[in-house]
Amino acid sequence: MKAMSSAAVPSGGMPPEGRAPKFWKTAYRNRYLYLMTLPFVAWVFVFSYYPLWGWLMAFQSFKPGKPLFEQKWVGFDQFKTLFQDDLFYQVLRNTLAMSVMGLTAAFTVPIVFALLLNEVRNMFFKRFVQTVSYLPHFVSWAVAASIVTRMLAADNGVVNDILTGLGLIDKPIQFMANGHFFWGIVTLSDVWKETGWNAIIYLAAMTGISGELYEAAKVDGASRLRQIWHITLPGIRSTIIVLMILSIGHLVSIGFEKQFLLGNNLVLDYSQVLDLYSLQYGLQMNRYSFGVAVNIFNSVVSLILLFVANGLFKRMTKESIM
Amino acid sequence: MRGGTPLATQTWRKSVSLADRLLDLFITVILAAVAIVTIYPFLNVLALSLNDSTDSVRGGITIIPREFTLENYKLIFSFGGLVTGFKISVLRTVVGTLLGLISSSMLAYALARPDFQGRRFVSVYLAITMYVSAGLIPVYLLIKDLHLMGTFAVYILPGLVSAFNVFVIRSFIDGLPYALQESAKIDGANDFTIYWRIVLPMTTPALATIALFIAVGQWNSWFDTYLYNATSPHLTTLQYELTKVLQSTTAGNGGDYRTTNMTQVLSTVSPESVKMAITMVVTVPILLVYPFLQRYFVKGMTLGAVKG
Amino acid sequence: MAVKKKWPAVLLTAALSVGLLAGCGESGGGNAGPSGSGSAEAGSGAADDLKPITFTFYSEDPNPNWTNMQDEIGKVITEKTGVILNAEFAVGDPVQKSALIASSGKYPDIISAKNSINKFVDAGAVIDLTELIDQHAPNIKKLFGDQMNRLRYSNDDPSIYVIPTYDGVGNTIFEAGGGFSLQHRVVKELGYPKIRTVQDFENAIKQYLAKHPTDENGNKNIGVSLNADDWHMYISVTNPAFFATGAPDDGEYYIDMNTYEATYHYLRPEEKEYFRWLNHMNAEGLLDPDSFVQKYDQYKAKIASGRVLGLIDQLWDYADGEKALKAEGKFEYTYGHYPVTLNENYKDTSFWPTGFLAGYGIAISKTNPDPVRTIKFLDYLASDEGQVLLNWGIKDKHYTVDANGKRSMIKEVNDRRVNDATNFQKETGIGNYNTIGPHYGDGVKDPSGNYYTLRFPEQLVEGYSDVEKEALKAYGATTWKDLFPKESEFKVKPWGAAWNIPVPSDNELTVLDEKLKTITWKMVPKAVLAKPEEFDRVWDDYLQQLEKAGVHKAEELRTQLVKDRVKLWSE
Repeated sequence: MKAMSSAAVPSGGMPPEGRAPKFWKTAYRNRYLYLMTLPFVAWVFVFSYYPLWGWLMAFQSFKPGKPLFEQKWVGFDQFKTLFQDDLFYQVLRNTLAMSVMGLTAAFTVPIVFALLLNEVRNMFFKRFVQTVSYLPHFVSWAVAASIVTRMLAADNGVVNDILTGLGLIDKPIQFMANGHFFWGIVTLSDVWKETGWNAIIYLAAMTGISGELYEAAKVDGASRLRQIWHITLPGIRSTIIVLMILSIGHLVSIGFEKQFLLGNNLVLDYSQVLDLYSLQYGLQMNRYSFGVAVNIFNSVVSLILLFVANGLFKRMTKESIM
Repeated sequence: MRGGTPLATQTWRKSVSLADRLLDLFITVILAAVAIVTIYPFLNVLALSLNDSTDSVRGGITIIPREFTLENYKLIFSFGGLVTGFKISVLRTVVGTLLGLISSSMLAYALARPDFQGRRFVSVYLAITMYVSAGLIPVYLLIKDLHLMGTFAVYILPGLVSAFNVFVIRSFIDGLPYALQESAKIDGANDFTIYWRIVLPMTTPALATIALFIAVGQWNSWFDTYLYNATSPHLTTLQYELTKVLQSTTAGNGGDYRTTNMTQVLSTVSPESVKMAITMVVTVPILLVYPFLQRYFVKGMTLGAVKG
Repeated sequence: MAVKKKWPAVLLTAALSVGLLAGCGESGGGNAGPSGSGSAEAGSGAADDLKPITFTFYSEDPNPNWTNMQDEIGKVITEKTGVILNAEFAVGDPVQKSALIASSGKYPDIISAKNSINKFVDAGAVIDLTELIDQHAPNIKKLFGDQMNRLRYSNDDPSIYVIPTYDGVGNTIFEAGGGFSLQHRVVKELGYPKIRTVQDFENAIKQYLAKHPTDENGNKNIGVSLNADDWHMYISVTNPAFFATGAPDDGEYYIDMNTYEATYHYLRPEEKEYFRWLNHMNAEGLLDPDSFVQKYDQYKAKIASGRVLGLIDQLWDYADGEKALKAEGKFEYTYGHYPVTLNENYKDTSFWPTGFLAGYGIAISKTNPDPVRTIKFLDYLASDEGQVLLNWGIKDKHYTVDANGKRSMIKEVNDRRVNDATNFQKETGIGNYNTIGPHYGDGVKDPSGNYYTLRFPEQLVEGYSDVEKEALKAYGATTWKDLFPKESEFKVKPWGAAWNIPVPSDNELTVLDEKLKTITWKMVPKAVLAKPEEFDRVWDDYLQQLEKAGVHKAEELRTQLVKDRVKLWSE
């Protein structure tokens, strides 16, 4: 799916003397492109890179009110505190477990859903299902968690009622009280809430696939399933890969709202995640520097994951984002 | 249409269409189930919003209100600031989406060009911003120093460039045949013209998707209003006004229950059903955006041009 | 192609609008910095004092009913003081916003920062009010009287940064909303037995449940349901442990009256027995198995269904559920409050007096353009006239004064206040200003012999349903509070209340407290739900975890804070 010959890109192996003028020549040829990008690059610098001076706070014992350079410096103490905290490791484990499960779910269910939806020929049904499917995305997690908790309740909960009715169990199961179920519940709730929304990108990508390819396949006698496998899926491959690389980078920072709302005190060991830990032990306790330290940890790990994922995909599929 | 189809082909065609039909049935059933499961929370919220607030406490309401009332909505519309909030929200959504589309698509185009020298650098540069954040305090100070506090611009400017949007559009552009761009170049068009006249029209599905994402993001924002414009009521947004009401039951993180006069606070706090009404008021406008965008989700006008 | 042609035009418009609005926003909008046209010198003549001035105000409490002082009493306030407040209230968790404001150097003129005040003090953002109060605020001086030394910040820094506005001076609580609650129908059917100990409570529930295991629809009745959703855990699960074992509410610690030493209250052997009793209730099937899993709205729904016979909670925490029952006329399903303790040796401590609790309140920032005007404004709110305005409203509009000088709310107005609370507050403004200035508490009378506030005993009794009155009569009481041990039975705590003592920002105690809380919130439910023979083992495990996490260090730190507070408040 990549565009053809990248003939214009100067690859390595140029004679050193020729390189400098060649650089400016290409730059001149690319001048419009530079014009189209540099303003935004500068923009991003101002709002995303410049504020990173704040990371210095992680090496201090920051107290608001005094300018940055008048604060007390403590070197790596904040990080030491972080890495010596048992809770940190538990929280990290929880975060990774739910991220990986979420990632797996997010790259199977919405894609399958989009594929199924794409095959629907009745425009009305297609549009209806698609619109309805992303409605849960707009319902807040507070409401969604309340619905899930109610459905899984032992006292008059729908799920338990069905299971008892079918004779599969004789006593209601306390789903929400069991830490081992928690990760699964979070993942399934997320699937329910976000699948429709996540599928939008894939559906959009599918419209970019040439209709001719399908025609040709039909003439060759391919069944619908084979068409899906050989045309549709490869057609959205780039999109999937881009999204996957980007998502892998987010493995450690998944927010905490849904875990917090779905959780309760009995499953604390499984529900606390890194972002909540950072908020509780950082900002809420006035330990700004600590919070920044956790933030830095997050960012560094994310970047490592990003580059590794990018490199792997580049090797395996020749496609990547950088 | 043609006569005399060999028997083998006819039988084979029939079995293919049987498999097809089974597939159709399977798909329809699954999708219908999905539709039911996903429409439920929304209908539940709607039902609760139309239900009397005291009765709602009893629970047990699914998709039909038990004691119908419009009181919840009436209460919402009695809160000041809603009209201004609505206007500003619409404005920031429209402006933010347009400007965001332009910036993302321009960058995506440039990054999709294989002959762009700065390609690798800018890609990496942008990607990093997605995972690295400076934290609340430095950004807050920056906004203050740039005199963006208490302005409309603070809703648009800081978030103008989103790396995610750029990469999504770029991946879409990558899927388009490069030949079109090359032939335009040969015809003497400059990079900007190619972007504007050729690539952009071909990427409408991606643009529509990103437009949707940006629009939803802009519409749902309230935290920036809270941080930067809380004392500028003429710049308030709908989400912020309603979030103020929505959040008032949390009464701090509970550690304060002793100092807050709970009985008094709770008697004036919005009951659950009002919160549901708020959810509806805030969600419905943005839901209407998608059907409007749906017509852009058609096969791009690309492929006729590429033959040969 | 037609779409393409439109775009440049649309773009241009968009760009123009952004430009216009950016300009617009800057010049006309309010900002968080000092504003207003007041003079910077101390106001001299009376004319100066009434010149209109706007102060920016930031509060960590939410208030969706704020009307920019356009409500009825707001306008009167402006008329009398010339002050308009451009107010900003917290949305959700205020801690982040307070941190940002404190670090930005751009402070609102008046700050009500509750627990985050130390951020502002550390940043040097707020000024010492001692002089200002002394010279310009006679009403405030009168209000606090001899409690003035409780306003000081700390032993090291005896400045007054905060004028307390949350607690009312001389406050008396007239109603018992706590204790253990039982539905009226339960006590009625059993002939109004004595409900004094947990055993009595349990027996009443057991007997009633045996006779009525389900409601009329076949749904099971529940003995006791607990409210354990997040911070509600404190109120329904853990605080009752000390209320029922003779210890007053000092937060998570028990403070010894003589030595001022702090003990993490769960370490008290009496409380272990309390939780053992809960465990026993669970084993007997009298405790709702969903107690630790259900969310707040599910809890309320259960109560509203009338199936829950007993509760261990505060009235305001389950009021919504009771309201639903009352709306259906099911008064026998509503609850009475009983001073239940572990055994006859202990007295319920709900009313152990703390004295005036300074602490949270109003501060004036160092960028305030006119601190004297501000203090005078606050002083007006604290004056007799101001207090009546804030609580009762406007004469002849909201209340009347009869020939004997007795003040009473106009009936229609009062009904609206109770039944249409939100709109009432927005229109009249009553309730909007109570925590902006210092105030008198319930039960205090003004010079005219009327109460300052709207909460007084006579009013309470009027609100009882017939069923409730019947129950009270059977127990020989007029209000539920009559059943509880009174304030006079306890010694006033010289440190006020331990939970009210602010913890300095770099104190290790905050981290320790959080860790201990997590362990407690995990292990206490586990202990309650365990099999009775396992209870001791789980409890020992719990105590061990606390030791490992540093509970004794936390106790030491807390003891120091209490001792400091006693010193600060007793000079």
